[in-house]
Amino acid sequence: MRSSAMTLALAAALAATAPPAPAADLPVFDAHIHYSHDAWESVPPADAVAILRKAGVTRALVSSSGDDGTQRLVALAPDLILPSLRPYRTRGELGTWVRDETLVPYLEDRLRRFRYVAIGEFHVYGADADLPNVRRAVALAKEHGLVLHAHADADAIERLFRHDAQARILWAHSGFERPEAVREMLRRHRTLWCDLAFRSEHGTGGAVDPAWRAAFDEFPDRFMVGTDTFTPERWHYIGEHASWSRAWLASLPRPLAERIAWRNGDALFGAEIAKRGS
Amino acid sequence: MTSSLGSPRAPSARQAARPGRRVAALAGRCALVVSAALAAVAAPASGDDTAGTGFAPDEVARILSHGPWPPPVPGRDPSNRVSGNADAIAFGERLFFDTRLSSTGLVSCARCHQPGRYFTDGHERSIGIAPTDRNAPTVVDVRGRRWYGWDGSHDNLWSQSIRPLLDPREMGMTPATVARTIRREQDFACRYRMTYHRDPPADDRQVLVDVAKALAAFQESLASGRTPFDDFRDALARGDRAAMARYPEAAKRGLKIFVGRGSCSVCHVGPAFTNGEFHDIGLGFFAAPGRVDPGRHAGIARLRANSYNLLGRYSDDPARTTATSTRHVVQEHRNFGEFRVPGLRNVAATAPYMHDGSLKSLREVVRHYSEIDEERLHVHGERILRPLRLTEPESADLVAFLESLGDGTPVFRLTQRARPACEVL
Repeated sequence: MRSSAMTLALAAALAATAPPAPAADLPVFDAHIHYSHDAWESVPPADAVAILRKAGVTRALVSSSGDDGTQRLVALAPDLILPSLRPYRTRGELGTWVRDETLVPYLEDRLRRFRYVAIGEFHVYGADADLPNVRRAVALAKEHGLVLHAHADADAIERLFRHDAQARILWAHSGFERPEAVREMLRRHRTLWCDLAFRSEHGTGGAVDPAWRAAFDEFPDRFMVGTDTFTPERWHYIGEHASWSRAWLASLPRPLAERIAWRNGDALFGAEIAKRGS
Repeated sequence: MTSSLGSPRAPSARQAARPGRRVAALAGRCALVVSAALAAVAAPASGDDTAGTGFAPDEVARILSHGPWPPPVPGRDPSNRVSGNADAIAFGERLFFDTRLSSTGLVSCARCHQPGRYFTDGHERSIGIAPTDRNAPTVVDVRGRRWYGWDGSHDNLWSQSIRPLLDPREMGMTPATVARTIRREQDFACRYRMTYHRDPPADDRQVLVDVAKALAAFQESLASGRTPFDDFRDALARGDRAAMARYPEAAKRGLKIFVGRGSCSVCHVGPAFTNGEFHDIGLGFFAAPGRVDPGRHAGIARLRANSYNLLGRYSDDPARTTATSTRHVVQEHRNFGEFRVPGLRNVAATAPYMHDGSLKSLREVVRHYSEIDEERLHVHGERILRPLRLTEPESADLVAFLESLGDGTPVFRLTQRARPACEVL
């Protein structure tokens, strides 16, 4: 309740005092990047990092199928890449990982060997979120202090929070839910954040949809943008996506635009960023 | 002057000039066909087999939705004042086959749209003045579409016809060089006058648009004929078992996959076998290393920026009656890498396939869908696309069905319709 009141006060302050943002220079925290096995040849690591930097992406939450892709990028640009451990060795495992007995040992092994800021992006729907693999992923996130990046329906998100009420969850694509439903979820869960990847309706034509604007105003500290590079070709869309994001962010007050563009991402992963000294 | 390229299939100028009468006649025929179809579907079915046809009722309904063919002739394109005009069709035909409309004097529209190849060129990616990024689609049955081009960057046929004229890799012209050519070449100028009842104006862009509208009028006249599938479909509609039996069994089995578990008819819908829209089917879309072909995403941006679209001043339809889609089309992230769903009539004659010609045969196309790479599909994208895992015989059946969509004869006979008043110049 107190948090909610503070959020509203913050939103009111942002809306009342700030002019719309000239957003061409906005840095971007891209919360939804994949660098999977099919991308490594056509977009080599150095090219991938160059694409991100050219687009003005200052940090990228990267998860890959398999994880070697993420590690290649981290090795090259530790200041830029925030590694997330995806429970897939190939992207084709997105529908099977919840029941695959080999997955948990894979996650545990990677967590022993490498450092991450999150587990995900993983896909889970409804009651599947109660399966042992998913419970273990939640437990591992708690044990290692990691965020869960979940591509899930609202039901599955609720179940994840039942497994760990203190979990920090980044809801991929805002669940492809309507803004009203997203707000409802954000009201219920103080440690739920949302990325806006692969959805367009909130900022079509450089204007923010009123229903989404209400969501951004109510929860200025919970949204972030993301490209979703689910095929190699989409790496060449990162720059255009960043420009597209800046276009609709420009219609918001500058402080709110900055939060969604990059500050919320930096805040969510702030501890890890601080450890890196960047 | 006629060539031996085949029998003419284009509607005559007389037919084209009287669209209302033809539509009315066809509408009457359609009503009869629909009645017969409903009667056939309503017949007692045994199990999931409608009246012993081998198809379940929902499959019959889907099959019937792929006809009748030919469809009622749509009315004139209101954005093109010479649509359906016989003089414009003749002018457009001359322009289509003439190399003087290229900067090198060597390339015509027919270089990539060859009548003998069902108005395609057989190349993976077409070659005009220089190689391009895309496969040349056929220009048969293009009348009355909502979008044109693999990326839908045009909302009308005359605007689409301007694109290759001005593309440096295709014909390399400019509005000024097109206009100069029309004014300078006496036979062109004569046909222009016959079509537009005035001399080519001083406004270069207006001349370019008028040339494109004549090209569009010609292309609108290219229509495919009836196919073995159409005969089967109509026999099914009227419950004619003897006629149904003439359709090859392999094609029937393939059709069952097409309208059934393959879900092909979800996108390849209706008499033309296309929904006219754009989809990501899991194909790669790198045009070259490090360079992508964004497909529909860039197409929408080009459409909006195009001064020759249906909202622009060159449309002849002051009410903008066909511009609703252009006004409301929305660019989304999902459009990146989407390409147009092609029609399937005479598809066996238009290899290779896809926007970049990357699949060489119908067998390869069927294999693509049978083994589709789910890793390339977004879970919130094309949800109907899942690997079909067809057996070899099933794949062959699906190919047999696709081959039955061919009308078996060339679509067009070059007429260079005589205009003596122009030819003597």
